[in-house]
Amino acid sequence: MKRVFILAILALALGYTYFAFELSFLSSTGRLGPGFFPRVIGLGLIASCLYALAVEWRSGGTEAQERGLWGVAVRTALLSGLFVALLNVLGGLVAMIVFMLAALFMLNPGRVLQNLAVAFLLPIGIYVLFEFWLNAGIPQGMLPLPV
Amino acid sequence: MDLFANLWMGLSIALTPMNVLYLLAGAMIGMIVGIIPGFGPSAGLAILLPVTFGMDPVGAVVMLAAIYYASMYGGTITSILLNTPGESATVASTFDGYPLARQGRAGPALVMQAVASFVGGTVGVVLITLLAPLFALLARNFGPPEYFLLAMMGMLLLVVMVGGNWRLGVISALIGFALGTVGVDLETGQQRFTFGSAELIGGIDFIPVAIGLFGLGELYFSLWQGLHLSRTGSIVDYHRERRFWPEARDFIETRMTLVRGSLLGFVVGVIPGAGATIASLMSYSIEKSVSREPERFGKGAMAGLVGPEAANNAASAGAMVPLLTLGIPGSASTAVLLAAFLLWGLRPGPLLMSQNPEFAWGLIASMYLGNIALLALNIFAIPLFVWMVKTPYRILAPAVILVCTIGTYSVNGSIVETWLMFVAGIFGFFMKMFGFSPAALVLALVLGKLAEEALRQTLTISRGSFMIFLERPTSLWIIGITAAVLLVAPLLRRAQPRD
Repeated sequence: MKRVFILAILALALGYTYFAFELSFLSSTGRLGPGFFPRVIGLGLIASCLYALAVEWRSGGTEAQERGLWGVAVRTALLSGLFVALLNVLGGLVAMIVFMLAALFMLNPGRVLQNLAVAFLLPIGIYVLFEFWLNAGIPQGMLPLPV
Repeated sequence: MDLFANLWMGLSIALTPMNVLYLLAGAMIGMIVGIIPGFGPSAGLAILLPVTFGMDPVGAVVMLAAIYYASMYGGTITSILLNTPGESATVASTFDGYPLARQGRAGPALVMQAVASFVGGTVGVVLITLLAPLFALLARNFGPPEYFLLAMMGMLLLVVMVGGNWRLGVISALIGFALGTVGVDLETGQQRFTFGSAELIGGIDFIPVAIGLFGLGELYFSLWQGLHLSRTGSIVDYHRERRFWPEARDFIETRMTLVRGSLLGFVVGVIPGAGATIASLMSYSIEKSVSREPERFGKGAMAGLVGPEAANNAASAGAMVPLLTLGIPGSASTAVLLAAFLLWGLRPGPLLMSQNPEFAWGLIASMYLGNIALLALNIFAIPLFVWMVKTPYRILAPAVILVCTIGTYSVNGSIVETWLMFVAGIFGFFMKMFGFSPAALVLALVLGKLAEEALRQTLTISRGSFMIFLERPTSLWIIGITAAVLLVAPLLRRAQPRD
């Protein structure tokens, strides 16, 4: 899996370097242009990835180190993504409460009262902190709250 | 004389009621950040940066700096009571801290670590007070070649000395540099890698990336490791011990350890890329080698706790020197601090102390006060922190995701940046799993623009010749110091634990 990850970075590096070569190496005044640094970085990244891949292939991989609780990590990541997606739909406060309820009942099952208390009180506290004290502007969603 | 006048001015600024309040809040938050395993100061600073937006610049930076150095204090509490370091710089404190606690000496160990942290932190701030103006004076002769070399030195040392795999560290740093090139080229105004997106014209903001990598990435990794399933039942119950305070012999036996740890920590901290973790592990090795009873190390030697503690706190103070005087952060945490400075319109560097003396000296003075406050907090608020240690990770994790997401959104009110944070979180998880260096990526992202600008200016001055780096005496000095540290690097790496 580590090899796949490095290969993915290599693919991105190839794309980056391709676009870096589309940029001009020198500016109109004859100085180093916007393409100079990206070309150096892109070529360096390709070379580093190829070297890391070669070393990885020789070492025989790290599958044994990649055993962990994938299920909970993936579910939590999906919930976080869903939370971001819901921010502009439900509004900050409601999305926070929905996310906390889902995440707490997944990670901390069987403790209904504790989960309900945390899932409501913490978002309200964060909402008050960001919206009123810091004036930071929490997304209002499609149906803004009356407060 | 100027020194005392400046320090006095700094104290008068730091002692305003609001700044004292921010300082105490920062110290408290930093302690909590240090206590939570898998949640380092970089994550804490990045996540809490948006919270400071409503404050005045001095208060905001005083609070963020307090979070930074307070996390060194906090991480040790779990090292001693739980055998779990709250953050990497307190790993060495578990070696003798936990055995001391198991022997019924948790109270003395907690007090001695607070004293050692206070001494290390205060010696570090005294040395900043004395040396920062000298560094700033020296750096006035620096031109683009020196700034480019300094940026490279920080990156190179971070990649070589921290983490197990330098090859993956180089890839991480290059990804950071690549992300830093997105946006408008400052010299020509040409857009690079924006692909027509208005959101990318301003470049990739550092805050969502840092919050994603350090906050979400670390969190997913901790869940993957099963941290939410671990129980905190093995906390040493220090309340039942008869003796809470250390004995006189604890102080007498460790007085030279305190001095050695503080001085070593400061020197290591000043070197970009080295940092508090290496300082604490080096201090442990040195104390063990100079001890008359090395066999006691690992079984509850007070010097094995006091040395690393003094060193990691002095190192966190030392790391402020290149940040304040050169504008070069040597670690991910100081990179976040640099971002905070820039956010407030303050440009750290040789001119900071002369152009913004209120800010620079206010910050330094606040660090003296912060260490005093932390000494008191560490001794008298231990029950509160122990209670926090007992909060299960399965409740903390969703709360951290909540703060990361809302904090990122609140910076610019941008849902695109919030998605960027989420993607950085996923990427950070894999980086962590496969041994890449998120710290190198973030540092390169922050230093990328500076390094590119400096390199292009340098090559314009030299008409394209790289020999300019060898023709300027100051550049040669920087190259020499970098080479010397790289030669010593294998020894420093050997000081780090294998697992």
